[in-house]
Amino acid sequence: MDSFIKIDNFPKIAPYAQLFWQGMAVTVLLSMCTVAIGFVLALILSSMRMSKIYPFAFLGLDKEGHQMERGIGVTIGKFNPISFLATAYVEILRSTPVIVQVAIIYYGVFGSLITLPSFTFFGFIKFERFFPGVVALGMNSGAYLCEIMRSGIQSIDGGQTEAARSLGMSQSLTMRYIILPQAIKNILPAIANEFVVIIKESAITYTIGVQDIMSAVNAVRGATFIIIEPLLVATAIYFCLCFPTSKVIAYFERRMSRGDKR
Amino acid sequence: METRDKLIQVTDLEKHYNFGRIKAIDGISVDIYKGDVMVVIGPSGSGKSTFLRSLNLMEEPTGGAILFDSVDITKKKYRDENGKWVKIDMDRHRQKMGMVFQHFNLFPHMTIMENMILAPVKVKKISEEEAKKKAIELLKRVGLEDRADAYPIQLSGGQKQRIAIVRALMMEPEVMLFDEPTSALDPEMVGEVLEVMKQLAADGMTMVVVTHEMGFAREVGNRVLFLADGKLLESGSPSEIFDSPKHPRLQEFLSKVL
Repeated sequence: MDSFIKIDNFPKIAPYAQLFWQGMAVTVLLSMCTVAIGFVLALILSSMRMSKIYPFAFLGLDKEGHQMERGIGVTIGKFNPISFLATAYVEILRSTPVIVQVAIIYYGVFGSLITLPSFTFFGFIKFERFFPGVVALGMNSGAYLCEIMRSGIQSIDGGQTEAARSLGMSQSLTMRYIILPQAIKNILPAIANEFVVIIKESAITYTIGVQDIMSAVNAVRGATFIIIEPLLVATAIYFCLCFPTSKVIAYFERRMSRGDKR
Repeated sequence: METRDKLIQVTDLEKHYNFGRIKAIDGISVDIYKGDVMVVIGPSGSGKSTFLRSLNLMEEPTGGAILFDSVDITKKKYRDENGKWVKIDMDRHRQKMGMVFQHFNLFPHMTIMENMILAPVKVKKISEEEAKKKAIELLKRVGLEDRADAYPIQLSGGQKQRIAIVRALMMEPEVMLFDEPTSALDPEMVGEVLEVMKQLAADGMTMVVVTHEMGFAREVGNRVLFLADGKLLESGSPSEIFDSPKHPRLQEFLSKVL
């Protein structure tokens, strides 16, 4: 019986090794930029989501300045537009496929609204395709990282906030000195895991012509009409990128949780 | 009694949930004078903790008034003498009210010293050296000066609670609120915490204590409140409450706990 993998196909695709090396460089660079953008975006989004800005709070007060219990004014008073915007962003980005988001950013935003200069950097990365890919993936991972950060912050025992506030510390002082130092320790492993997810998810950007590992596969197929073996090479590269990364993360996760028993 | 200053004046305090269907506190009025050691007792679910937590607005009351230093802190804003609306600065009021919790709530990522000096340095803006000097003094008072560089995780429950008390004292509060400070402790550690509280009372600190330690209430308290179902059923001196209880609910409660 014929195996669907033919060993003698590998020497045939060997001349295209350079494409795979370049693809790997693009994938790694793309993932790093994505996580960087996503992290900054998530910081902004999560602080927006947890902000306590109630511009209509006065509608919920009675004539003497007491908080009322019920009524339309109380409901409107509890509306926080900043938090609403951030929540809407996160929910929309999390409830639609990445491939759609990437296409909209590439064809929509950078296709018609903004014209990017077209040049190549590092000799083989096309900026006008790479940049939209980074923006789209960054926006997407920002939404996910925002949820990671929010849950990390909310996982800190409420007693910590109460203790800090009872000492007269303001909301922001409490956040900065009590909540964030404890929360960051909890969420660092989750953020690193997001990096692994991004490495895999970045394969989607080949649909807009970013020359990552998947586009190397397609280039080889077009030139040699061989498909399975290049795919196996791509699989091996992705595995070699992701598996050690997640093992390293797991190691640090164990080390950090060592002094954590309360 | 009337010669002393009123520190906190609570009138018709109410805390309702579900639009009044559940009444955690149902109209409590009480005056707290400077130097009072007021002990709040009652069966569980009677609203003791809610009452105490309302005093520094950890819980927001849904009705009534709490006058602290003659400002009604239940209002979000008030008119000053010029008739201008002023937003209430709750953080400033909380600085004058120390609070001690059942579960200590020390900051686990900081040493004992850092726990103690954080708020004075960041909120009161006193210098770090000054804060440290004061912290050492207070630690000596509770016999824990050698644990200044330890982390909370390395301390026993009783030690943690003593630290929590002196951490609150660092802000030089006018009144200390204790929310069941010994309920989460092993029996053998209860004594050391009560000892610190007795000392504090002897130094003239105004205290409001929610507790199940009837011995402490009788010995240290100068006024005892009995709460049940969110209502203040009886109040008086420890001897009035413990030796000649009038309300049947109180008689029943005491027969169970004493």
